[in-house]
Amino acid sequence: MDPLAQASMVEALDRMWARFLPQMLERVAILESASAALANGNLNVEQRGAANSAAHKLAGVLGTFGLTKGTVLAREAEILYSGEQETDPESAQRLGSIAAQLRVLVEQRR
Amino acid sequence: MQRLKLAEMAQSGSRTIIQKAAGTGRGGRNTVAHRILIIDDEDDIREVAALSLETVAGWEVVTASSGAQGLAKAAEYQPEAILLDVMMPGMDGPTTFRELRKNPATARIPVLLLTAKVQSSDQRRFADLGVAAVLFKPFDPLTLATQIAGVLGWE
Repeated sequence: MDPLAQASMVEALDRMWARFLPQMLERVAILESASAALANGNLNVEQRGAANSAAHKLAGVLGTFGLTKGTVLAREAEILYSGEQETDPESAQRLGSIAAQLRVLVEQRR
Repeated sequence: MQRLKLAEMAQSGSRTIIQKAAGTGRGGRNTVAHRILIIDDEDDIREVAALSLETVAGWEVVTASSGAQGLAKAAEYQPEAILLDVMMPGMDGPTTFRELRKNPATARIPVLLLTAKVQSSDQRRFADLGVAAVLFKPFDPLTLATQIAGVLGWE
């Protein structure tokens, strides 16, 4: 791929990112709400499922927009919300940290 | 000229401009304008994949946002390959794949599954379905077309 075409593709991706940014932030907000509920000991099944789904979607898309670290973090959150393992206090803290890091990554991408 | 076309496309959200240019590789190579169907319920993934295949490879792309819609479009447009998401509400990817195989009009179209699942048990399960390949999200939009072409022997 020649440099000009590559630059054009990157430019087109940036425009697309701007269009989908609200959707990305909405998914991050779901993770923030879930981690807050988990920390307060009142995460319900629906919230857990929504958080698992939001994390899965973020894991699948962030790397495509160059946010590889975001995919790694979201994938970790997806596993922790999958229900396959007990969510202990340490995990609750970690999920809060992941949500905060994802917000920074998503908001800072230009 | 290319930059202008891409900018127009990105602003309008339309793929028409790019489709008209199919057959001329925007990466500086001559390409064959393959026709591919993307089935994914996530609009961000669907649109990035379409942008990638149209822009980088000059392929003609048709999209569907559900398994049911994908079945109809596959029969109508007869794509040379289908990029099929695994996790979709309603009819998921594996079920859609089996339905494609049941219909003589779509039974022979190569299907590539697209998944964000990375566990080896999932990968084995998908490979056992008989698809042409399993590709993983996140994909690199700059190399997705090359990846698909490699699997399908289009190079």
